[in-house]
Amino acid sequence: MQLKNLFRDLVMIGSILALSACSAPGHKGQGQEGAGGAYDANGGVQASGVGQGSNFGDQAGGPQQSLAKRTYYFDYDKSQIRDEDKSAISSNANYLMAHTDAKVILEGHTDPRGSREYNVALGERRANAVAEFMKEKGVNPDQIRVVSYGAQRLAAPGRTESDYQLDRRVVLVYSQK
Amino acid sequence: MQKFTSILVIGFFMFFSHTVFAMLSMELTRGISGAIPITVKPFAIQGQTPPQDMMAIISNDLKNSGRFKIASGSADDIVEGAIQQMGIDRYQVSFQLKEAFNKGKGASQQTVLLNHKYIVSNDELRSLAHHISDAIYQQITGIRGVFSTRLAYVVVQRAVGPTKYVLEVADQDGYNPQPLLTSTDPIMSPAWSHDGKQIAYVSFENQHAAIYVEEVATGARHLISEFRGINGAPSWSPDGRKLALVLSKSGSPNIYVMDLASRQLTQLTHDYYINTEPSWSPKGSSLIFTSNRSGSPQIYQINIASRTVTRLTYDGKYNARASYTPDGNHITMLNQESGLYNIGILDLDTGVFRVLTNSGSDNESPSIAPNGSMVLFGTLYNGRSVLGMVATDGSVQIRLPARNGEVQDPAWSPFLA
Repeated sequence: MQLKNLFRDLVMIGSILALSACSAPGHKGQGQEGAGGAYDANGGVQASGVGQGSNFGDQAGGPQQSLAKRTYYFDYDKSQIRDEDKSAISSNANYLMAHTDAKVILEGHTDPRGSREYNVALGERRANAVAEFMKEKGVNPDQIRVVSYGAQRLAAPGRTESDYQLDRRVVLVYSQK
Repeated sequence: MQKFTSILVIGFFMFFSHTVFAMLSMELTRGISGAIPITVKPFAIQGQTPPQDMMAIISNDLKNSGRFKIASGSADDIVEGAIQQMGIDRYQVSFQLKEAFNKGKGASQQTVLLNHKYIVSNDELRSLAHHISDAIYQQITGIRGVFSTRLAYVVVQRAVGPTKYVLEVADQDGYNPQPLLTSTDPIMSPAWSHDGKQIAYVSFENQHAAIYVEEVATGARHLISEFRGINGAPSWSPDGRKLALVLSKSGSPNIYVMDLASRQLTQLTHDYYINTEPSWSPKGSSLIFTSNRSGSPQIYQINIASRTVTRLTYDGKYNARASYTPDGNHITMLNQESGLYNIGILDLDTGVFRVLTNSGSDNESPSIAPNGSMVLFGTLYNGRSVLGMVATDGSVQIRLPARNGEVQDPAWSPFLA
């Protein structure tokens, strides 16, 4: 019992460290009006960078590694969550339920082919699919925000099928830990 | 002469001081048959050599329209001109369009069809050359030229550091690119107002989608819409008073119309499918849009008064991003068949559909010229996104290679003068 608690505490500390490494919500400046152009002065990518696998100090698998998996891939023109991603999404749902102050942004993305605005709609469907899954697990909807970038932020700007597969994704970003 | 100097374009240049970093230039990639031969003679120069080659600009304009073929000798139609320096930063430019016609028995006679004189500054020479091209094009074809119009598009620069997105406006031939907005977050879907003074677009600054309207001349901008979810695909009504847009605040993307004065929203579609990319009919009584209600994206028309919805496209598994030709008789769209994304045109009277592009497989975002002659679109060339143009009769195809970054999501301006 004692050991189990210790293990849980370690996981929590690991999680918090990992989440701190993730960026905080964007502290962006307001758009500045330049001579004839409005400028978005600050680096806007910080809060929405691709969620890399974080180092939890334990490579042995288990819930902590599942929690660290925050990019979920999709089939062409589809918005169904793959079975292989369900445990990772569940782990993050559990974290959100255990930390009611935590908040996530679910970024929906598509590959570059096709119509841009249709892709924005498709990306939103993918992000909504992950959001619905988390809500069904019991996550408070207020902890989740969805944004679809369509094909505007490609993971792999190449033009092969393997690039397209990396592009078709939902990225979970903690905006508040 | 005075008419030219009052053209809005001139005022536009004065507000921008940014360096030109992404010059575009045209390249004819598909030839034409049945083009009208025309000879453009070098302009006679008095005084210092002017900074612009008027003959080259006019020749390029006419050639790239697909309606003309530049003849080196003496065609029936001949353009002649002269440039005289009138002191510092002042030129007098004159040109004549002459046409020879056969009087029979081997005799021919020359008629002067156009004869004009202008006084302009250095900076105005290029715009003046386009203005002259417009006059020649209209005189011979009877159709208004688009050489003085402009293009808006998004440049994506991934070279170093965070990806940079720049909304740019350039001349119709790709020259004089000017940034309207620079951001580290995506920018998309630029749409010109019908007077050419404003551009609506989607910006993802602050990690959410919002629609802004920016004044082209001053860069002043106004936030139009930032509801929860998608704020996308803005399209101006022909009278400039309304903006059609896409919002997903109801749970899925639906078409709305916003009255710009009151900011009041009217929801036009009410379902759980994808509904996006609204575009107004020339009379403003209906909108066409993309919907996947039949399983795959197709083009539908909705009558704004009756809300009656009609499906317009049946050719191909995927039709999207449609817009009307100015006469309202055709629509152009992005069409996918066998994995190839091409630009197509549908004759609404006969139902005949035709694919216009034959370059590559990843074309996107068709936008039609204000005289209906050409369609501008995004395409791939050597693995990079560039802009292309194709005649609506398929006769000519042009590429505008970008020298810096990926160029995408273009929108052709209305007539500006």
